[in-house]
Amino acid sequence: MMSASEVIKLIDTTRCTACRGCQVACKQWNELPGLRTKNRGSYQNPPDLGWNTWTLIRFQEHVNEKGTFKWLFRKDGCMHCTDAGCVKVCPSGALYHTEYGTVGIKKNLCIGCKECIAACPFEIPRYNSRTDKITKCDLCLTRLQANQQPACVKSCPTGALSIGPKDKMIAAAYDRVKVLGGDANVYGDKFLGGTHVLYVLSEKPEVYDKLPKNPSIPLSVTVWKDWLKPLSWIAGGGVIAGSLLHYILHGPKRPYPEADQGDHAERGE
Amino acid sequence: MPEKGMIKATDLFERVVHWMLAGSCILLFITGLGMMFRELNFIGSFMGGLVGLKYVHNFTGIIFIVSLILATRMWWREAGRFEFPDDLEWIKQAGGYLWHVDHVAEAGKYNAGQKMFFLTVVGCGALMGVTGLIMWFPMGLPMGLVRWMYPLHAFGFVVLFAFFFVHLYLGTIGSPGSLPAMLNGWVTRAWAKTQHPKWLKEMEAAGKLEVYGEENKEAVSH
Ligand code: HEM
Ligand code: SF4
Ligand code: SF4
Ligand code: SF4
Repeated sequence: MMSASEVIKLIDTTRCTACRGCQVACKQWNELPGLRTKNRGSYQNPPDLGWNTWTLIRFQEHVNEKGTFKWLFRKDGCMHCTDAGCVKVCPSGALYHTEYGTVGIKKNLCIGCKECIAACPFEIPRYNSRTDKITKCDLCLTRLQANQQPACVKSCPTGALSIGPKDKMIAAAYDRVKVLGGDANVYGDKFLGGTHVLYVLSEKPEVYDKLPKNPSIPLSVTVWKDWLKPLSWIAGGGVIAGSLLHYILHGPKRPYPEADQGDHAERGE
Repeated sequence: MPEKGMIKATDLFERVVHWMLAGSCILLFITGLGMMFRELNFIGSFMGGLVGLKYVHNFTGIIFIVSLILATRMWWREAGRFEFPDDLEWIKQAGGYLWHVDHVAEAGKYNAGQKMFFLTVVGCGALMGVTGLIMWFPMGLPMGLVRWMYPLHAFGFVVLFAFFFVHLYLGTIGSPGSLPAMLNGWVTRAWAKTQHPKWLKEMEAAGKLEVYGEENKEAVSH
């Protein structure tokens, strides 16, 4: 089913019933422990993504302009960006683009520097202080490599989750949006070089909790990696070259001979 | 080894602090580069992998901060403040380093160029310390703040890295006779008269100059 070319996981939020099968399947497949949480008066549990929770159904009560009440369920998790801020900053190469276009993580390489946390527009990477490493969804890379669907997709009983070749999934998303009409839209193909997780949203993106309307690589990452990083060796190299040139053309600054007075003063060097 | 008639430019404390600052700074350069460029990740293999390198960088940072505080306290009086008109004159002539100048403006213990280097090290060094600590412990701090620490840390590095090579050049082959000032502390009278004439005059006038082989009870140290 899955050849080594770009894939997309489609999340059709309009089909999600918030059964949280995917949440449990992810924990089970990736052997992530469930930690005790408190009742906060919401079905959304645990309250947020964490080092032990790579995907999560966000529960949101929404009242539209017409005063109609509606539950919004959104499966949150790594978007597997093409222009991935996390890959761009990772100093060790722990985060990388896989043969499927997704963003994998080589656990053994991670040094726990937390740089990726601040570089991700979706606040996905989470830190595990016990292992001193970052965790996040890897789109079940080993399952893809074994020709299997990701655990969350496999577990989904309503067909809200599906995976397949990039072009096919984008087309499927737009077909679905056409059927839905209204504010329904495709989220993910228009920014960050196109993400490898795509949403079909029933409402405008800005309606959803914790979903940036127009995500981009933070300006701070661009300034840091695209401007200052090359400048560092250009400036360093320029100064070394300049110094050598100065030495050859102008010559070093030696103590003046006329400053030589008395028998115990000597020329420099 | 010092010879009779040589002049004491720095005391032991000054030199120890200088080399603490320089040593920690260079180690930070090297380990920092090991994280900045993936091609240089191998530097970590001498430190038990990149994780080891990260911890060497972080703890060397503490030594650097301590050295920086000591250096700032120690050199602020001599190198932290510009004195006009001499320093301005010196800057206009670029200290006579770039084109011929008949009479270079008289410099005190540190010339305007050295003062600029000192203030750059203090300013960028403090920036490195603050941004570095926040990058080390970012959890629980606002994301908007943490995000900008990385480019600021990189900016400080660009400036320090470039200035470092100027300093290295002028402390060694670019200005013969300077290096002993930071090795054993003794320089020749000719060097002192050329590089820091005002300082030499003032010290002599105040009777505080320490000359090798001569007693001086007035001599002061840091
Ligand atoms: C191996 C590299 C280095 C050498 C050979 C060196 C040499 C010297 C010398 C000879 C002086 C005295 C100059 C004089 O009295 O005219 C000096 C001063 C000084 N050094 Fe270094 N240094 C090195 C690295 C560093 C580094 C990495 C830093 C800090 C980042 C640093 C900070 C300072 C400061 C602040 C002074 C005070 C005077 C000035 O501003 O020039 N040095 N160094
Ligand atoms: S969503 Fe965040 S963690 Fe996932 S690939 Fe994009 S930048 Fe990286
Ligand atoms: S914490 Fe790990 S994965 Fe994240 S940037 Fe650092 S080394 Fe890379
Ligand atoms: S793709 Fe795999 S790792 Fe990612 S959320 Fe689904 S089950 Fe979890």
